[in-house]
Amino acid sequence: MMSHASVNLKNYHLIRNLVFGWVTIVLLAGFLLDIPKINILEHTARNLYFHVPMWFTMMAAAFVSGYHSFKVLQTGDPVRDIRALQAARIGTFFGILGLLTGIIWSKFTWYIGTDVWWNFDPRQIMVTFQLLIYGAYFVLRSTFDDPMKRARISAAYNLFAMSAIPFLLYVIPRQMESLHPGAEGNPAFSEITHPIMRMVFYPAIIGFIGLFWVLYTQRVRVALMKYRITQDSEL
Amino acid sequence: MKPLTKFVQDAAQTAQESETVSTAYDSLWTGGNVPTQAPSALEQIMLAQDKLYVVLAVVLIIWFGIIFLTMRTDRHISKLERSVEDHIPDHSDDL
Repeated sequence: MMSHASVNLKNYHLIRNLVFGWVTIVLLAGFLLDIPKINILEHTARNLYFHVPMWFTMMAAAFVSGYHSFKVLQTGDPVRDIRALQAARIGTFFGILGLLTGIIWSKFTWYIGTDVWWNFDPRQIMVTFQLLIYGAYFVLRSTFDDPMKRARISAAYNLFAMSAIPFLLYVIPRQMESLHPGAEGNPAFSEITHPIMRMVFYPAIIGFIGLFWVLYTQRVRVALMKYRITQDSEL
Repeated sequence: MKPLTKFVQDAAQTAQESETVSTAYDSLWTGGNVPTQAPSALEQIMLAQDKLYVVLAVVLIIWFGIIFLTMRTDRHISKLERSVEDHIPDHSDDL
């Protein structure tokens, strides 16, 4: 049985416009507000507004994707399968952006004065694993011809992919020595962050999760259209 | 994996070798910033303006990502448009 075979366009346009305005304000505030000067970090502390929300967004996307995969297992609804796939795609997109922005940030703080771009920091290794787990999800999907079988088996795998996130992004990196904040011997975010930075940081998280929602809904619209025309749920 | 402390040790060595004005009691950290090697051309750009350009680079990566995604979605839409046109016959065919 199929449910919600189309997106509510009125809501979509309203939320999309709100998100675009919101993120614009976050960008302006992120660059224009004065922040306390911290040695080594200097202005790169502003990356807190851009790099960190990428990971929050990836986690939100993984949750949305996992929710729809759970619904696939419950109902076998192909629309849920389409939503799970698109949420995973956009979530992985944000994860890749998080990894790339992190590499740039670390290059000019951790690895300054060296030729190092990548030094196998535990957190970077773990998120790379996480992205590979999602990569395997997309490959796994392409191996099935029967859409029903594909929807169910990939939904089960996707629930595993989602459940790996707390371990790979939280539990393990916190146990290991790392230059990344929040690791052993490194101060956590909450103790050092100035109130003015929180005032931009929290809205930035909401803004980028909103941006995920816009991009995801856009992709779902295209995928649903394709499904209606070709009966193919891949996109 | 090259241990991170290796960089600090290298820095200490470089600092000791280039020691000219400091006393024997100077520690690695007296100078505050111990250059490990001369800044590369890329670093000279990226570290200017209190490293503000690093933030610009990060925002540009996100922006390019969104451009990339939009273009991919556009490609899918174009493909769909073509297949819709294949399904719907032209008016001239009806005659």
